[in-house]
Amino acid sequence: MKYTLEELLAVEISRHIKDGEMGFVGVGTGGEAFIRAVGIPAVASRLAQLCHAPNYTIMFGPILDPVLDAESIPETNFEPDLIRWPCRSQITVEEALCIFKRGKMGIGFASGAQIDAYGNMNIVCVGEYKNPKVRLPGPLAQPDHAAHAKRVFAIQKHDCRTLVEKVDYISATGNQNREGLAGGGIAFVFTDLAVMDFNPDTDRMRLRSIHPGKTLKQIIENTGFELEIPEKVPFTQPSDDRDLELIRTRIDPSKKWLNAEITKEPATLEKNV
Amino acid sequence: MIQRTSKVKKLKDAISMIADGDKVAIGGSLIRRAPMALVREIARQRKRELTLYSWSAGMDYDLLIGAGCVKEAWSSYCGLFQFGMAMNFRRKVESEEVRFVDLSESCAKDKFRAAAFGQTFCVSKVPLHTSMMENPEFQSIIECPFTGEKYVAMEAYHPDVAIIHAHRADQYGNVQWKPIRMMDNECDILIAKSAKKVIVSVEKIVDESVIINNPTWTMLPKMYINAVVELPYGAHPNSCDTLYDFDLEHGRLYREYSQTPEKFKKYLEKYVYGCPEYEDYLNLCGGIETLSKISRDTLEVE
Repeated sequence: MKYTLEELLAVEISRHIKDGEMGFVGVGTGGEAFIRAVGIPAVASRLAQLCHAPNYTIMFGPILDPVLDAESIPETNFEPDLIRWPCRSQITVEEALCIFKRGKMGIGFASGAQIDAYGNMNIVCVGEYKNPKVRLPGPLAQPDHAAHAKRVFAIQKHDCRTLVEKVDYISATGNQNREGLAGGGIAFVFTDLAVMDFNPDTDRMRLRSIHPGKTLKQIIENTGFELEIPEKVPFTQPSDDRDLELIRTRIDPSKKWLNAEITKEPATLEKNV
Repeated sequence: MIQRTSKVKKLKDAISMIADGDKVAIGGSLIRRAPMALVREIARQRKRELTLYSWSAGMDYDLLIGAGCVKEAWSSYCGLFQFGMAMNFRRKVESEEVRFVDLSESCAKDKFRAAAFGQTFCVSKVPLHTSMMENPEFQSIIECPFTGEKYVAMEAYHPDVAIIHAHRADQYGNVQWKPIRMMDNECDILIAKSAKKVIVSVEKIVDESVIINNPTWTMLPKMYINAVVELPYGAHPNSCDTLYDFDLEHGRLYREYSQTPEKFKKYLEKYVYGCPEYEDYLNLCGGIETLSKISRDTLEVE
């Protein structure tokens, strides 16, 4: 079966989710940013629960452990609908952040305007902090994720403006300098072109797999720093029919997640891989 | 019998409690349940040199910044949620007219909680190794006397005034929210408790007997409250829990008007300065009857 980029990423991310752990997804904004920050992690989470991680728990802002099958997903992510999403618990943000501080958060899903070679992320500004060229919305809970989650999974657009040698502002601490922080740092970066992880010896980002149909040349050209490239790089494992069937019939038939239909500002990352 | 004192105030009189240069804490998050009617009245009274505190800001900050009321603002976010960037905020921070202090959600909450708990400071590991530490307010590192772990010490917020929006209250200031509500906004309780004075707008002022019948709904009892203003749809165009959704049409209109300073001046003239009474604003937005289309629920017990 043919699959979309969103589906490829959701299936790939689901493979890295462990049974028994917990993940955090924000409530997101709209369009493409929503697909990366919320839609793909949501589908990956449910797929993992159905396939290999039945005891994996997900938290969407204040909504803890919601029912994730299509018929239970709210019509919109606007407040009145969000509040009525069937779930096992609703908790305050203070409590949610305490789950991070207590070391009980497995995966923090994150997405930013910039990510650098060491996995530092930025959603605060482009240019100098005091006199920014472009002011962005602010760090949200990204510093909390980066300080305390066992692993951070970043889902990013792959271009030289996003993947930079050094971020202009560190809103999430990467892997180079973590003294005193209990969290495990950033584990993976999933983009439109590839999957990256980090070399534990150098702390720098390293190519892990190339999406089917994409080339090494494309990846190098669209990365704003020198990516570590191992001698042999496999292709990202394509989504199989079972996974696609589950996504299209049981998890996300009306594309609320993968095309941001839930936000009423639908979008797509790319037509076909 | 001697009467007890009512805290019910007119919108104008309540906001006149705020002075130029005050530190003002604002409830709500993103574009949910910010006390927008109180915010517009601050802009209408042309308050100046304010410092704003919130944990997650939206149209509230953007409007006050666009109206020239703000010199400094602290939050983890300032944006219009699915309507995109908060353009007034963006312009005035880029041009250095407003100092914006970024801090993570947990740090903002820690600072409100510290004040609400009667403490002068709090500690966190979250700012370590982030650019939050570029601000002088995050540069004092202390050691835990028991374990030796390093923490960043952060001063508690001490707002002069907090403004929040709630579902209902009695005239004495016992403030209630329905139990089914957005848990993100529970921070409103800490925000209120952190401030010297609290102004609360409510959808409805109810008889004290209604409060007495549902005492566990009273999340903020009267000793915290200085003024109660009855303002139906007082969060509009923000949403208010299950009671009403945000006004998509007004959100898009706000986005359009805030694209340039010139256009935003027109927004202010029409929806802020041009509305000396709250009813004027409601009428401009189509009146209560039109607004009822965004209603989703009533204040009644379920």
